Amino acid sequence: MNILQTIPLNHYIMLSALLFSIGAMGVLLRRNAIILLMCVELMLNAVNLLFAAFSVHHADGGGQVMVIFIMTVAAAEVAVGLAIIVMMFRKAGTTDINLFDTLKW
Amino acid sequence: MYSTPYDYLPMAIMAAVAFGFVAVTMAATHLLGPKRKSEVKLDTFECGIESQQNARFPFSIKYFLIAILFVLFDVEVIFMYPWAVNFKEGGLEGFIEMLVFIGILLAGYLYIIKKGALKWE
Amino acid sequence: MTLTVFYLLSALSVFSGLMVVLSRKAVHSVLYLVFCFFTIAGHYLMLNAQFLAAVHVIVYAGAIMVLFLFVIMMLNLNLAAEAQKTPWIKISAVILSGLMLLVLVASVKGAEELSAAQPQNDIGLVKNIGNILFDKYLLPFELISLLLLSAMVGAVLMGRKEPQPQNE
Repeated sequence: MNILQTIPLNHYIMLSALLFSIGAMGVLLRRNAIILLMCVELMLNAVNLLFAAFSVHHADGGGQVMVIFIMTVAAAEVAVGLAIIVMMFRKAGTTDINLFDTLKW
Repeated sequence: MYSTPYDYLPMAIMAAVAFGFVAVTMAATHLLGPKRKSEVKLDTFECGIESQQNARFPFSIKYFLIAILFVLFDVEVIFMYPWAVNFKEGGLEGFIEMLVFIGILLAGYLYIIKKGALKWE
Repeated sequence: MTLTVFYLLSALSVFSGLMVVLSRKAVHSVLYLVFCFFTIAGHYLMLNAQFLAAVHVIVYAGAIMVLFLFVIMMLNLNLAAEAQKTPWIKISAVILSGLMLLVLVASVKGAEELSAAQPQNDIGLVKNIGNILFDKYLLPFELISLLLLSAMVGAVLMGRKEPQPQNE
C-alpha cells in the first residue's frame, strides 16, 4: 500500500516544475496585478507539492511542517498584497501594473 | 494505526455521487423540461420585486478589511489543531508555548479593536 | 491504478493552471485556480498527507481564494477588459518560461530514482505533524505569530477607510 513505490518521485518533480513554469509564465504574461498575485500563489503551491512529496519520500515530517509555514506566509502575503492593490486601485482607478510606474527611474 | 489513501475511497464515492446527482438533475431538467422563453420567464425573480441591476456591483470596502482579518485568524486557528491533538503530551510547556503564540496575536486583536477597524458605523 | 489517478490529477492541475493564465476574465481565473488547488489537495491525499490536504483546502480554497474573488467583485473588474501586452512581450514570456521549464527538467532528468527509505505511512497525521511542529520547529512557530501580527497591522493601516478624507 505504499504510494511512493508506485509513483516515482521524479513524477512529482516534473509536475512541480511544470506548475512553477506556468505560474512564472502568468507573471510575465498578464498585466492585472490581482492575476499576478494569483500566479505567484500557483508557484508557491508547486513548491509546496514538492516539499510534501520529498517529506513523504524521506519519512520526515519536517517538510510538511514547512508547507504549513509557507501557507501561512502566503496568507499574510495575500492579505497585505491585496490591501495594497485595493489602495492603488482607489488612487489610480486601475489594477494594470504597467501604469504603476511612479517608482521607475 | 495505519491509514492509506485507500481509506478515502468511501469519501471519493460519496463525493462522486453528490456531484453526479447535481450534474444529472441539472442535465435532466434541462433536457426534460419544456422550454418557454419569454421576457417574464427569463427574469431572475419571476414574481416579486423587479430586479434593479447587475448582481456584480461594487460593494462597500468595509467588508474587505473583515475578510482580510478573517483570513489571518483562520490561518492562526490552523496551528491550534496539531496543538490540541498533542495537548496531553505537551504538558505545561506546550501550554505556555501556545500562550505566547496567542498572546502575540491578542496584541494584534487589541490593535484592531483600538483602531476601530471592526466598527460598523 | 494509483498511477492512473496521479496522471489524471496532474493533467487536471496543469490544465487548470494553464487556464488561470490564459483565461481573459479575472473571475474565471480565480475559479480555475480554486479548481487547481483542489487537485493539489488531491495530490496531498495521494501522498497520505491528510492534515496538509485539509489545511490546504481550508486556507487556500476556503480563505485566500475567497479574498481574491472578493477583491475582484469589489473592484468590479469583470466589466473592464484587461489591457494586453504587446505580442512580442507575450512570445518572449512564453519562450522564457519554456526555457525555465527546460532547465528545471534537464537538471533533474539525469537524477537516478531515489530509493524510498521505507516511508512511514502515517507521518502526515495531525499528531505527528504536531509533534514535529512543537519540537523542532518551535521558534518558527512563534515567529509566525509575529508575521501574522505584522500582516494584521499592515492590513488595518492600508485597508481602513481614512477617518476624514482630505478632498473628495
